Amino acid sequence: MTNQKHLSHFASYHLHGLRIIAYCSTAALTLLASSNAYAAGTLAGTDITNIATASYETGGTTVDIDSNPVVIKVDELLDVTAVSGDPGDVITTNGAQNVVSTFRITNTGNGPESFRITPNVVNGGDDFDPALVQVVIDSNNNGVYDPGVDTAYVAGTNDPLLAPDQIIRVFVLTNVPATQNNGDRAQVRITTAATTGTGAPGTTFAGAGQGGGNAVVGSTGADADASGFLLINAASVSLVKSATVLDPFGGTTSVPGSIITYTLTATVSGTGTLNNLAINDPIPASSQYVASSMTLTGGALTDAADADQGNFNGSRVSVSLGNVAAGQSRIVTFKVRVQ
Amino acid sequence: MNRIIKLCFSMILLAASSVPAMAAAPVELSSDVFIEKQEKRPDGSFSTVLAKPSMILPGDQLVFVVRYRNAGNKPATNFSVTNPIPAAITFSGTSDGAEVVSIDGGKSWGKLSQLRVNNADGSSRNALMTDVTHLKWQMNQMLAAGDAGKLIFRGVVK
Repeated sequence: MTNQKHLSHFASYHLHGLRIIAYCSTAALTLLASSNAYAAGTLAGTDITNIATASYETGGTTVDIDSNPVVIKVDELLDVTAVSGDPGDVITTNGAQNVVSTFRITNTGNGPESFRITPNVVNGGDDFDPALVQVVIDSNNNGVYDPGVDTAYVAGTNDPLLAPDQIIRVFVLTNVPATQNNGDRAQVRITTAATTGTGAPGTTFAGAGQGGGNAVVGSTGADADASGFLLINAASVSLVKSATVLDPFGGTTSVPGSIITYTLTATVSGTGTLNNLAINDPIPASSQYVASSMTLTGGALTDAADADQGNFNGSRVSVSLGNVAAGQSRIVTFKVRVQ
Repeated sequence: MNRIIKLCFSMILLAASSVPAMAAAPVELSSDVFIEKQEKRPDGSFSTVLAKPSMILPGDQLVFVVRYRNAGNKPATNFSVTNPIPAAITFSGTSDGAEVVSIDGGKSWGKLSQLRVNNADGSSRNALMTDVTHLKWQMNQMLAAGDAGKLIFRGVVK
């Protein structure tokens, strides 16, 4: 930033029309043009210099004179915004570890400033409070939490220093309690504050601005907070049943004596795990269960209510699938004979 | 770059040090800047006051004042004052409206209402105050010995 300050200083001198430094101007003007693009306006520490020139004739000669240069320095405006970087609620499950909430912090002031970040997971108006693990800075700036790559944030030690308009992402990692209800939400919040100081708009910190000027609190109060939410959304299961028929003659017609093989596919979707999932299917009327025909994902099951997952009680088959994680399927087959 | 920067600095210093020598010239020129501030009156209403610019932020309204005086004992003719608009300032008008302006760095001049800006696609539009790069006041009358005046323009910090 020092460079930029100096160069803009040159540029202002160039504009006085002093020919002797004209060749210094090209780079400086380019830099100035880019600095004008900042949302908050002229960079803090920029010198604004005004010189008037006059020309007149007296005694037959033309005389050019310059006024004194009047120089004022642009002070630093302290402004910041913070928003959640998650597209919606972060879907999670009971007992989940290191759940990532993403936030974006933008320096909307006109000078480089470092910002203190304070996470808060204990908020009113929500259903539960996750446990804070840590805050991590997206140090490789890819928008994704990379364990072991992104830097853990320690307040006061590595408060991110942001140039005007610069955006940084931070991740707040939390652990979810083990016994929340489906649909429970938790607020995860950060507060960020300019380290130079905060306060009512217009609060001035004399001499604390970039380039030795003042630092002045802007319309945001030089602090900002943002909230994201965690949502407990347990897994759901879908069950698809299909049938194939083999008749006594090698065909596929359903006649007395035909064997129907039913296939039940249970698919768990969403996130998390469904615990103690079981499939029960009554044997259709006019058909008879074929003894010892149950399989679970290709493995044979016995009909007795015993150690294996299968059981036929005379009217229905039942298969205990146990705990099934989201994204997994279980396939149960059994056979009946048409009477 | 560093060497060039240093060179620039020394040249600036040279230029600055030549200013006092000009004081010997018959016509004197001085420049000053103020900030326009809203000040609360005791009755709660606001008045605009000019203050020394102790604090400058983007968006602030500045008032530049150029004073001239013929301190010699001979009249000066063809008297003109030129003021480039500082890069971080957007021009927002003069107090007398008597100026001509340049929107091309001082190459050509005219009344703002008569200047056009060429767009990249070949079309053109009327020049705006934001396009102004230089101001010039051309005095038609002689500046007699002892005559003085001031020129005022406003600008907004970008």
